[in-house]
Amino acid sequence: MTTTAVKSTVADDPRTAEHRRPILLAEGSRNYRLVVAGILLGLVVLALLGSTLSAYRMGQVTTVMITATAVVGLNLATGYTGLLSIGHSALFGVGAYTTGILIVEYGYSPLLTLPVAAALGFGVGIVVGIPALRIRGLYFSLVTLALGIAFPEIIRRFEDLTGGASGLLIRSQYLAPPSWTGLTRFERGTWLYWLSLVSLVVVMFLVRNLIRGRIGIAMRGTRDHEVAIRSNGVDVARIKVLTFGLSGAITAYAGGLFAMNVGALSPDGSFTLVKSIELVTAMFIGGAGTLLGPLIGSVVTVFLPVLTSTWTTGPISGVLFGVTLIVLVFFMPEGIAGRVQIWLRKFIRVVPPDHPDVRAVRRHSRFSGDGAPGHSPDAIDGGEHPLDSLTDESRNEGNSR
Amino acid sequence: MELLVERLLAGVTNGSVFALLALALVMVYRSTGTLNFAQGECALFTAFFSWWLAGQGLPVWAAVTAGIVAGFVLGAVIERTLIRPVQRKSELATLIVALGLFSGLNAAVSLIWGTDTKIMPSVVPNGLEDYVEVLGARVYGDTVATWVALAVVAVLMTLLFTRTQIGLHMRAVADNAESAALAGVDTSRILMLGWGLAGAIGALAGALAAPLAPEQLSITTMFPIFIGASAAALLGGLDSLAGAVVGGLVIGLAEAMITGYVPLVGGAMQQTTAMVLIVLILLVRPNGLFGSKELERV
Repeated sequence: MTTTAVKSTVADDPRTAEHRRPILLAEGSRNYRLVVAGILLGLVVLALLGSTLSAYRMGQVTTVMITATAVVGLNLATGYTGLLSIGHSALFGVGAYTTGILIVEYGYSPLLTLPVAAALGFGVGIVVGIPALRIRGLYFSLVTLALGIAFPEIIRRFEDLTGGASGLLIRSQYLAPPSWTGLTRFERGTWLYWLSLVSLVVVMFLVRNLIRGRIGIAMRGTRDHEVAIRSNGVDVARIKVLTFGLSGAITAYAGGLFAMNVGALSPDGSFTLVKSIELVTAMFIGGAGTLLGPLIGSVVTVFLPVLTSTWTTGPISGVLFGVTLIVLVFFMPEGIAGRVQIWLRKFIRVVPPDHPDVRAVRRHSRFSGDGAPGHSPDAIDGGEHPLDSLTDESRNEGNSR
Repeated sequence: MELLVERLLAGVTNGSVFALLALALVMVYRSTGTLNFAQGECALFTAFFSWWLAGQGLPVWAAVTAGIVAGFVLGAVIERTLIRPVQRKSELATLIVALGLFSGLNAAVSLIWGTDTKIMPSVVPNGLEDYVEVLGARVYGDTVATWVALAVVAVLMTLLFTRTQIGLHMRAVADNAESAALAGVDTSRILMLGWGLAGAIGALAGALAAPLAPEQLSITTMFPIFIGASAAALLGGLDSLAGAVVGGLVIGLAEAMITGYVPLVGGAMQQTTAMVLIVLILLVRPNGLFGSKELERV
């Protein structure tokens, strides 16, 4: 929820804002810390609860978290920087096959393969990102599409290393939890649950910090108005290539986790364009360009097919999936996380400690009685943080009118 | 020599199918400004519809015509009910609607007609004996049909855009929808018409492609064709009709030639090689071969 701090309140309808003033939470204040601590505590409890689930359910949650990590990577490139990629299945696959090959052919311990997977993903991401300097928009998506198409074919071509079309099997004895965890070979599910949970949390934390800093502003500027942000002195070329590299690294890391979780890789299994579409869908449903969006979206895309297939069987679930997707776009084009953020902002707003409204409220409570009716927090907001409002202005064009 | 001619012909045939579907994609792009991910699945739907009609005893040409009409209606209805309401929200939203349609239509096809492979009857005779020999290579009826179809559609589209008032309106809307509306063009009708025509051309492509495709008519038939078509549209330039035709033929030929003459790559990596070539071309011409440059007002 802390992302609300970065966002301004352009979307707020001034009429409702007059009726009920949202509670302001100044960053760093005591209340703010209490709320953050409460949320963190809730998450820890949730995580512990998750570890008591049955092996089957826990496996599903692990799948959600691995998908979410991959989507966090995609979100960095597509959600924040506006480089629509339909080739992230390949980056996911690069990570998975790196982990798989290193374990099977070179006898690496699984954990050590993850940094290698991320590094390779970074490299591939940079190489794919370079055309983005010249090729824009949908044309750039074609470049990523090329990557997505090429990957399964390359895997099939170099079958000595990758096992080709018949797949790559990682024996479960190689995937046993390391001894320091105290887990036995048969508790691999629990080990991967905690590993992917910690990975997801760390990755999300890093992305949050990145997004809130200068680079984050540059990224969103590149998405919203490339010319404008360039004339503000941002090296757009560097931002694009770097973002795509980082995005690739995170998604490849998730791919490595995927390989450890599944233990069997095949080029036509999880690394085709269908996977890319799944990742884009998850990102969009959750909320592109939001911190929690990838997690929420992954929950939906992993569980929705499960859910629809419990109601009905066969192709109807596919139809329902498509219909649900369209309905979601109609009613919450900003995604679930984006929608919730807009809704929450009516009640609670997190603002920087030196925000004028916080001071205004303090003054207001001192001289209570005459509430200044013409006072519009939005105007002040927009004036004070022109860069912060970049995000929402573009997304909520329709609402603000 | 014989082999070369055979490969050339096969390349042109595949290329013609790509080009037809790419024309549909370009029509949509000119109306709405996005890539219609569901174009291939719309064509799949209408192809199954034609197959079903033909199975009911309708002559094949009538079934295919009905499929084309259905494609027109499908395209127009999709534009009016699903695309227009979200189009203003964001480009990504439109794209996701198309993705939803993609998975929904595909599942709908398997729901209605089952997942087993169908044999799509061809409009023209395409038995083993129905060929003419050209320089020693055999040319079958349905290959000729795709070439003729592409040529006819290309000529008709050119006539539509250059000789009729509707075509003029369509060009105006593609160029600047707001100005066109101010000048009295019924933008809403033009957009629907654009999507409708795209649906109809796509349906034609689907009906022609199904008898030729290696997997005949099944739920996976159209996806590789769609990928080839979108590559063709992007290579030619998303807003150029001529580009779509050239792009489609180039990709069809490139794939056929690479498969035949680059032994290192062989059949395994033909798509990859074709895509890498396209990316290299895009590096030199970032808006495709014939695409117009996008101007941005700051």
